[in-house]
Amino acid sequence: MTWFRRLYGASPAHLLALVASLAVGAYALTQVLGLVSDPRRVLIWLAGAILLHDLILLPAYALAGRAAETLLAPESRRSRLRIAALNHLRVPFLLSGLLLLVWWPVIGRKAPRTYLHASGLTVDPYLGRWLAATAILFALSALIFALRARALGRSDDETITPGAGRAHQ
Amino acid sequence: MLPVVPRFPRLPPVGPFAEGFWRSPLRGPWLASILSSALLPLLAVSAITGFISHLAYQPHLGANAIFNGPGPGNGFDLFGLHWPTNPAWLYAATQGLHVVCGVAAIPVLLVKLWTVIPKLFENPPARSVAHALERLSLALLVGGGLFTIATGVINMQLWYPFGFPFVPAHYYGAVLFVGALAFHVALKLPVMRRAFRSQGVVRPLREDLAHTLPEPGLPGEVTSAPHAARAPTLTRRALVGGVGAASVGLGVMTAGQVVGGPFNDLALLAPRGRRGSGPNDFPVNKTFSAVGIPRERTGPAWRLGLLSGEERRAEMSRHELLVLPQVEATLPVACVEGWSSTQHWSGVRLRDLARMAGVDDPDSLEVRSLQEHGRLSKVTLNRGQANHDQAMLALRVNGVDLSLDHGFPARIMVPALPGVHCTKWVAELSFS
Repeated sequence: MTWFRRLYGASPAHLLALVASLAVGAYALTQVLGLVSDPRRVLIWLAGAILLHDLILLPAYALAGRAAETLLAPESRRSRLRIAALNHLRVPFLLSGLLLLVWWPVIGRKAPRTYLHASGLTVDPYLGRWLAATAILFALSALIFALRARALGRSDDETITPGAGRAHQ
Repeated sequence: MLPVVPRFPRLPPVGPFAEGFWRSPLRGPWLASILSSALLPLLAVSAITGFISHLAYQPHLGANAIFNGPGPGNGFDLFGLHWPTNPAWLYAATQGLHVVCGVAAIPVLLVKLWTVIPKLFENPPARSVAHALERLSLALLVGGGLFTIATGVINMQLWYPFGFPFVPAHYYGAVLFVGALAFHVALKLPVMRRAFRSQGVVRPLREDLAHTLPEPGLPGEVTSAPHAARAPTLTRRALVGGVGAASVGLGVMTAGQVVGGPFNDLALLAPRGRRGSGPNDFPVNKTFSAVGIPRERTGPAWRLGLLSGEERRAEMSRHELLVLPQVEATLPVACVEGWSSTQHWSGVRLRDLARMAGVDDPDSLEVRSLQEHGRLSKVTLNRGQANHDQAMLALRVNGVDLSLDHGFPARIMVPALPGVHCTKWVAELSFS
């Protein structure tokens, strides 16, 4: 079996399991592509989901995070206070972004007529609710930061005193 | 002759393909493993309850199948298995779990993908035929997962931008995803075991910031652990805790529209988290004005047709129905979109109406709505559903007449029946 491993790169069991998994995928794809009038739309949504996440959403928030880190807590001037400031901005930003991502159709009023027809309700409150949730998240985070800041500032004084740092204990 | 061993070239180490590009100290096989341990149960519950929902529609009966017709081969339904009527909250629970777990999985999935993103830019892109095929399977895994969750989340907010029908796409997207996930789990379980053995399952959660060191990776394994890491700004405990809190928070906000009552107020952004205080002020998934039934057809001239097969045996006005013996029951309307609402209904037992159509102990019941268009204007119930003590043609809710939006003059209410099968604006009942 060494020749197989050399040629393929894994065991025959790996190949069998992989083929079974790909066969299920191929079955599902042929079923759905045969059922819809415009199969290209399904493929666009499948590939689009990967591209949108991997090449747009993830780089966008990663870059925003890097920018915030460079501004607030650059590696050359790091302190517990600066790191806390960064995190107290990061957390509400990410949570608010998550809410926007998940509830984008109602917050962004993507289909107000369909929504009204189906539910008898308007989508109007959702943008306001999301903004309120965002404001509360940032305010809470700022409040907790303010309460922590004094203690963090003090501990920074300690750690920059030579000989009192954690590394020397 | 010796077989030729295929060669796999490296890409130039530029940008994300360079070893030192991904520098977060938190990435690595332990983080991926701990996130997966939370993600897998959420996805498993969501997938299983999703397939259960397909079963609850009973696609083998009448014109119930939303795609592929009633014959065998319609997905994975278990033919001959009838959807039960007990407990009454069965579908509210399975479909609530489906939506809550699916939504709660989103933050965990996003952070899992963030953790393993360096592997998208692995260099060389393929190390063997096996590795190249694994990566094809990963594309189906990520594509299928994002596709299924995104279509579900968008659909429950009543937006239909797809250009394809939601139900078969969401269904087969899930089949595609589950097929790829099974292989992925089998492949990665040993890696997960090694990561937990090398780092401990929870030990990295106890590190403070000063002790948050880059993950070392696993010998002989290409992992997402960084080659050159920046100093940490976040502990693993804070990251994992934050993801957990986000997941629980989203889950609770979504659960508010399933559990109802005071919990409704937690459903701040969930599409059906609102209610009024009147007896008819609970959610609907189709308003009367949306289905285009002429108003006069629901007025005093309305008659319920009682049929034995295709033979019309009796006709009844709403007044005649109201003087028949009434049954009362507290039953949920449980929508496929994940919300449910439990109310107190009263009306005439379907079994009694069957007898008036000349059918004792009906085998099945086809309900036809005044609604002329739409796949759900005609629904077939199984024997247990048609004969249940609390299965009724409901005329009143919470002590008052049904509102037009809730199906006036009459609607079907059956324990554990999916909401969209609780037909509103009923015109005919055909027993057989």
